[in-house]
Amino acid sequence: MVDFIEISVVAVGTFLAMCMFSTLYGKSSPLYALAEESYIGFATGLTIIWNIDYIWKTGIVNIMAGDWVLLFSILLGAMMLLRVHPKYGYVARLPIAIVLGAQFGLSLRTVIFTGFIQQISATIVPLFTGSTQALLYNWTIVICVIFMLTFFFYTIEMEGALGMSAKFGEYLLYIAFGTVFAQTFMGRLGLVIGFLQSYTIPDWKTPYLLASMVLVLALIMYMDRAGLLEKLTPEE
Amino acid sequence: MAKDNGGILKWMAEYDRRYVYLALFLVMVGPLLRPIGMPISVSPDTRQYYQVLQQVQPGDKVFFTLNTEFSGYNEIQSGIIATMRLLVEKNARVAFGVAHVEATVIPELIVKAVQAEMTANDYQYGRDYIILGYIFPNEAAVAAGAQDFHSVVTQDWLGRPIAGTFLDEIDDWEDWDLIADFTTGIATSYLINHYALRGTPMIMNCIGVMIASEKPYLDSGILLALLQSMRGGAELEFLIGHPGPGLTAMDGFSFGHYALIIFILIGNVGYFGYTRQQQMKISKEAK
Amino acid sequence: MAEILKNRQLQIIVMMLSFLFVFLPYFLNVPQLNTASTKLITITSIVTAFTIALAVIAQFRRGMNIINRRSRGWYFKAYMLVTLVLMLGFSLISRETGPYHWVMFAVVNPLSSVNYGILAFYMASTAARAFRARNTKALMLLLSGFVVLIYQAPLTGAYFTGFEPIALYLGSTFAMAAGRMFLISVTVGAIVFGVRVILGNEPSVLGISKEEQ
Repeated sequence: MVDFIEISVVAVGTFLAMCMFSTLYGKSSPLYALAEESYIGFATGLTIIWNIDYIWKTGIVNIMAGDWVLLFSILLGAMMLLRVHPKYGYVARLPIAIVLGAQFGLSLRTVIFTGFIQQISATIVPLFTGSTQALLYNWTIVICVIFMLTFFFYTIEMEGALGMSAKFGEYLLYIAFGTVFAQTFMGRLGLVIGFLQSYTIPDWKTPYLLASMVLVLALIMYMDRAGLLEKLTPEE
Repeated sequence: MAKDNGGILKWMAEYDRRYVYLALFLVMVGPLLRPIGMPISVSPDTRQYYQVLQQVQPGDKVFFTLNTEFSGYNEIQSGIIATMRLLVEKNARVAFGVAHVEATVIPELIVKAVQAEMTANDYQYGRDYIILGYIFPNEAAVAAGAQDFHSVVTQDWLGRPIAGTFLDEIDDWEDWDLIADFTTGIATSYLINHYALRGTPMIMNCIGVMIASEKPYLDSGILLALLQSMRGGAELEFLIGHPGPGLTAMDGFSFGHYALIIFILIGNVGYFGYTRQQQMKISKEAK
Repeated sequence: MAEILKNRQLQIIVMMLSFLFVFLPYFLNVPQLNTASTKLITITSIVTAFTIALAVIAQFRRGMNIINRRSRGWYFKAYMLVTLVLMLGFSLISRETGPYHWVMFAVVNPLSSVNYGILAFYMASTAARAFRARNTKALMLLLSGFVVLIYQAPLTGAYFTGFEPIALYLGSTFAMAAGRMFLISVTVGAIVFGVRVILGNEPSVLGISKEEQ
């Protein structure tokens, strides 16, 4: 037995979703603006709530438990907020400096390994021992990485052997991009199908989805014919 | 073929893109309303992911990280639910953490989806699973949690203390037996840098867009396994013998791919049959 | 006090110390240093969480500007601000049930889904209009794309098994190599940029305006 709350969630959800899909009609519409501003408003509120929650749990609760050093985090955070003040904006420079320094420390101490050293070492693979498939894979990877990298050398002139290497790398990149495009499309398709699944399973939700689609399309077409789309759509 | 106005070839070269939108929508919705039930082959990457999960022991502490907005959950929910199902069957202890505010409601959806298995295995909140909520707002939070877990996490998502739960056994990155990351890319690189790089076993289920960028980590051994997008989730459902949203979606998935191929082919026929002829005609006239 | 806080050199020194206090303990493995470093990282995580307020303030300012000017459609911005405040109120009632829960499933989740899902339609129409086999490179892109698309569709992937080894080969070599190549390039760029910031050669990152440089 489906209760009223569940029905209202599906009805409102499908209507707003179709309003957002209305951008596919090709023209801006007030229905799209309604969906957009709903999402921005509620999502921003959500972000505020959970960040305050994080500050409370990680900062305030620990301070109350006796970890007084974390008082600095509240002080620096408050200083950071002064960034928007026209007169006292400079107060935020100190927390910015501390945060930036720490962030760079965090990332530089690890990406050197995960993004550089380990990637280089993973490219050094056996090229003369192993099964036929392994050799094929290994040779392809080594050739691709080297030639693709030369394509992105912008600091020296590409002539002679380097120029030919870059040209070859470009061809290899196009093959890679075709594969990446197919994987990307698979991902986006999955997003839409997953969304449609949530409004077609179970069956009782489907009429709401189809009715919302028809309603929004009818409204858009009516507004377009009546010249109301431009008038009612908010300024960019 | 018409010479004056181009006819069908001109239409193929210049059709309104809204036909593509409509066709794509219909081929996706149709099979969802009337499922066909197509076979699926299982890729080596999915088998590898399954093998890693099969090695989970009873009592293992698994960090179930949801680095996704709700849209991403729609794509990888099949992998998420299938993985959770397997972990519950293995009697692993699971801690949910999220990196995006929209994902704060996802753990309850996962628990609801595997409620039967959790009840059968007598899963209790706090002893066997816990929902921590939004604990990864930024890289510093991930790094601090990796070095001293209880410095950043002292309460669950509703403000109840985690003292007395199985998380008492967690001090730092070494104490996790597995990280199962479900991601659209929010805090994944931080988890890789601060957990996996230090040796914490990590598996990942990513969206299609991220496959090419995460495969290097799999190839270099930083990641143990990579489940790829909705199709990977469907393959995992097939492997564990428990159909779910992934397998249900595969019909529409197939037809969506075919629709794209057909439209690209139509465009190319139109290009060679009309547009290119027009361009050659114009350049001849210019000479 | 103002002159101290405005001092560019002090900023750079503080940033350098903060960097070293996080970077060095990772490699030295001294327990006391690790504890202190973890404390600084925790402080950083909390301070970074405060920055969301800056984005919200900017959002509010922009919204109020539009409302005050009575631009076309200003009521949508008023609606946005009302929903923002409503969400804060709902979260105080309960985050497990009630109106907060309703808004999450009726508004936020479907709209978030469509926000990214709509890209599938744009991708399909753009691919249909732009993917032409104009030259050898485009043909190679199309062919590799087609092979992987056909494999990815479970129906053909299961029945025409010849596509699987080729698609897996393309994904595990060419695409992976491109991903690795971009990862290496981006990492080198990030390291170089990070070093420039730490040494004070990128003052704009610290919020120092051109006039002050």
